[in-house]
Amino acid sequence: MRWATRAHVHVDRAACAWLIRRFVDAEAEFCFVDDPSEVPDDATPFDMRGVDLGHHGDDCTFETILRRRGLDDPVLWDLARIVHEADIEDERYDAPEAPGLDAVCRGLSLVVDDDTALAVTGPLFDGLYELRRRALLGRRP
Amino acid sequence: MQPWLQHRYAGVTVRVVEQERVEWVLLAYRLPREPSTPRIALWRKLRRLGAAQVADGVVALPADSRTREHVDWLADYVLDHGGEASVWVARLGSRAQEEALVERMRTAVAEQYRAVLAEADEAARADDGTRQLARRLRRELRRIDQRDFFPPPERDAARAGVAALARRVSA
Repeated sequence: MRWATRAHVHVDRAACAWLIRRFVDAEAEFCFVDDPSEVPDDATPFDMRGVDLGHHGDDCTFETILRRRGLDDPVLWDLARIVHEADIEDERYDAPEAPGLDAVCRGLSLVVDDDTALAVTGPLFDGLYELRRRALLGRRP
Repeated sequence: MQPWLQHRYAGVTVRVVEQERVEWVLLAYRLPREPSTPRIALWRKLRRLGAAQVADGVVALPADSRTREHVDWLADYVLDHGGEASVWVARLGSRAQEEALVERMRTAVAEQYRAVLAEADEAARADDGTRQLARRLRRELRRIDQRDFFPPPERDAARAGVAALARRVSA
């Protein structure tokens, strides 16, 4: 399936792309557009203004996708806490990891294109998932 | 915009880079008076971002990818709550107006930095600083940093004050 989002991906979109590929659609292909009108007919848009998979209420797009797809894995909701703070910075959650993740994604977007950014952040979110999974199980990473 | 100003001194052409003008992203919005919760929530979000109120229902932030994205989502937030919103990218009509707005925003954050520095200095004077206080002030500095687009001199003073306090309490 094709998925479309705004060009120049930052933390929320990078995290959503990872989430989609790992937990929603293993065959996901991503395209990047500058304007909502450029979204191809066969693509599902996310993290853009005026689409279903966007910010809703106080949720960032990562949280919206978790809700819409009924993903109730507690590790994903723990990651949502980090992504939310890195993206919205509203101090709703305690997420000391967020400023670092924000800096890493912001810096990355300055030096690589969107496809490469997703290729690089994929393993990064895999690692973060594993780290938080072990933490929630009460094990030392 | 004219990127270069050309000056000639004794036959030598000097090129002076004209200072870049600030591009702003504006949110023009109208929210129903009732219920008041979304109005208050929006106001808090705008304050956290450091937006400047330029008229009733019009706020401005210097435009970059981060502020434009935040403002886009805020526009959706207004629409979701039964209001009207439009997002504009603009430059002020004169440099004087731009400087006035920049100065207003700089003054607002300078005040916040001074409050942090006063707390750090007070703890240093009374010698009753704690790690918790140092941590709290650092967090506060990070918060201010997020809405500080035109750093005033007070920023460095506040950072130095909190750093000194942190060194003292962790010694």
